Amino acid sequence: MKKVLILGMICLLFLVGCGQESAKTEEKYSFSYNNMDFVLGEIFTREKFGTEVEYSEVASCAFEGLDKTFKYEHYEITTYPDGEDDRIYSIYLLDDTVSTKEGVKITDDVSKMKEVYGSEYTEQGESYLYSKNGTTLQFYTSNGVIIGIEYSIVIDN
Amino acid sequence: MKAVRISLIVLLLLGVFWFLNILVSPKYMESLVEGSMISEYYDTPKNHEVLFIGDCEVYANFSPMVLYEEEGISSYIRGSSQQLIWQSYGILKETLKYEKPKVVIFNVNAMRYSTPVSEAYNRLTIDKMKWSKEKIEMIFSSMTEEENFWSYVFPILRYHSRIFELTEEDFTYLFQRRQNTFNGFLINQNVKGVESLPTKRPLTETRFADITYEYLDKIRELCEENNIELVLIKAPSLYPYWYTEYDEQIEEYASKYGLDYYNFLENILEIGLDYSVDTYDGGLHLNLSGATKLSKYFAPILKEKYSLTDYRDNEEVNAYYQKELEKYYEEIGSGM
Repeated sequence: MKKVLILGMICLLFLVGCGQESAKTEEKYSFSYNNMDFVLGEIFTREKFGTEVEYSEVASCAFEGLDKTFKYEHYEITTYPDGEDDRIYSIYLLDDTVSTKEGVKITDDVSKMKEVYGSEYTEQGESYLYSKNGTTLQFYTSNGVIIGIEYSIVIDN
Repeated sequence: MKAVRISLIVLLLLGVFWFLNILVSPKYMESLVEGSMISEYYDTPKNHEVLFIGDCEVYANFSPMVLYEEEGISSYIRGSSQQLIWQSYGILKETLKYEKPKVVIFNVNAMRYSTPVSEAYNRLTIDKMKWSKEKIEMIFSSMTEEENFWSYVFPILRYHSRIFELTEEDFTYLFQRRQNTFNGFLINQNVKGVESLPTKRPLTETRFADITYEYLDKIRELCEENNIELVLIKAPSLYPYWYTEYDEQIEEYASKYGLDYYNFLENILEIGLDYSVDTYDGGLHLNLSGATKLSKYFAPILKEKYSLTDYRDNEEVNAYYQKELEKYYEEIGSGM
């Protein structure tokens, strides 16, 4: 009887196992500016990226940790908390003085975007979303002209 | 004899299983208290003429205690973090089993979300709800791809790893609950003013998704069937941005069905909100000072427009509120 009880309790405790995701090493979208690479998901430090011109914090409704936004002259970096660190969640390009690694910038036509990135995108209203290995590159457009570009990482909830 | 022994073993195992389920479930009493709000309603007297439903923009921004003090309004906030519109509908349906308010106030911020946001938020709203048809419907409509229904029925399937992370809170609140809100209002006295906000992204979808309209229709129809006045509001949270395109759609909907819509972002000056002191997180939620101002502004509007009862003249209800108000000011005084 003792054995049955112990066995039963062990079964109850280990009903479900936790799966582990295998690391993805394939190529992801990334941004580059002034010979510096911005990799989504990497740890953000001011030492590396410099001091921002504007800073804001956004809390979640209930959970601890802050999404932080560091605004620079031509782009804005948003981070998410990961323990003690802040990792890059998104990079939002602010003007046409910066472009994607592949050479597309704000004010370019949608046709140029399609020429460079192809037609495998998801359309959301007037925006186009390209996905690659857990990262996305989104082009916000208006009347066929790009008005915003954003790199983001897909975070599993 | 053998059958009796087997039955006893099975009963014992079931008992242990039941106990472990309770033990490993998050208690939401001292940490992540937002998860306790939906169930706190069950312990209160059901005498509310006004019911708020919606996300954090209701439970942080309106104080039923102030509504009562100002105009004698008896109200309850059944809000929860990131409450999605189909969850608001389920909560409204469930509430109507207990009481029939005169006015239901729905915060329209949830119209922007057409898919479940995260399991963590689902859990805060659903975990502690009493079992009902509404809860089951809510689970199925809210689950993310990684979730499964049975983990809501048997929390150990989801929280088994907590067995190694149990804290004092898990034992203290194993079989008891404590009050964390005042009629659904979660007091926060911290001050963190607005300094700057993230850059506003262009809207990718200007029209709210069909599913959100579907549930807004359901909420409206449920209110109509029960002769309840549905009022739409947008709380004065500065972020996430409430786009003009969003506002126009709610205006249009309200006008089509003859509903009142109050976008408090348009009344910031009249309310007297000062975002350097009236918010605890840089503009997402109002703190106690901001919620008090907003509630003082809204109370006379509610009272007059919807001919609400002044419960200060009702001995029984007044006794309840006086007791709550005493605790309310005690908690405020203690700086919690």
